[in-house]
Amino acid sequence: MPGSTGNGKPMKNRIKVFRAMHDLTQEDLAKAIGVTRQTILAIEKGKYVPSLDLAFKITRHFNVTIEEIFLYDAGTSTVDID
Amino acid sequence: MKKNSFYLLFGFIAIVLVALFWYSDEIHTSLLIEVAFIAAAAVLYLARRKVTDLVEDERSAKITEQAAMRTLQVFWVVFCAFSIGAVMQILHVPSFPRQAPPVPPPMILPIRSMGFIQLGLLCLMIFLYVGFRIYYARKYGEWETDEE
Repeated sequence: MPGSTGNGKPMKNRIKVFRAMHDLTQEDLAKAIGVTRQTILAIEKGKYVPSLDLAFKITRHFNVTIEEIFLYDAGTSTVDID
Repeated sequence: MKKNSFYLLFGFIAIVLVALFWYSDEIHTSLLIEVAFIAAAAVLYLARRKVTDLVEDERSAKITEQAAMRTLQVFWVVFCAFSIGAVMQILHVPSFPRQAPPVPPPMILPIRSMGFIQLGLLCLMIFLYVGFRIYYARKYGEWETDEE
């Protein structure tokens, strides 16, 4: 699943909220960080999980930490160690 | 270079290639079209790098990567199956002696039909790639619409 964290749960994000707070369109944000508008749309809709590089670019654009925008649901992510 | 200029160049080169294909056939020299095709691919590759209004990001790279990988995965199976069959025909694989009726010698494909088979396989590869590309583009939200 493209917009998933690997355990089946989608990675959530608050890009739309931050865009609204900064009065930015998807096109504006896309141009600012050097991607297409479709990529921003796909990330917002949870269809695509960005790379760390792109995630940092987005968060630095809004001047916040990565956890404030990207919400990683680690509740079901468990590793069995013998 | 603008995106539309690149597409115009692409169309122009395609027309030139068709003309060269015809001319090569006329003078019975396949080397001409072969060299021209490689040169055309090189020119298009260089021109593609000069296009300024075509934004490629990690999502589009991922779509290309996934489509190419799946195409390769399916294509090598088909290609391998065809190659094994072709090798069997060339090597005259012997049958077991228990078989009573004599087996007729295998028909070896003439070299001319190999070209058509190769073209068929190439077409299959293109169809597979386009199909997988459409699938992954949809999966990664290429044609999503937004309320914005």
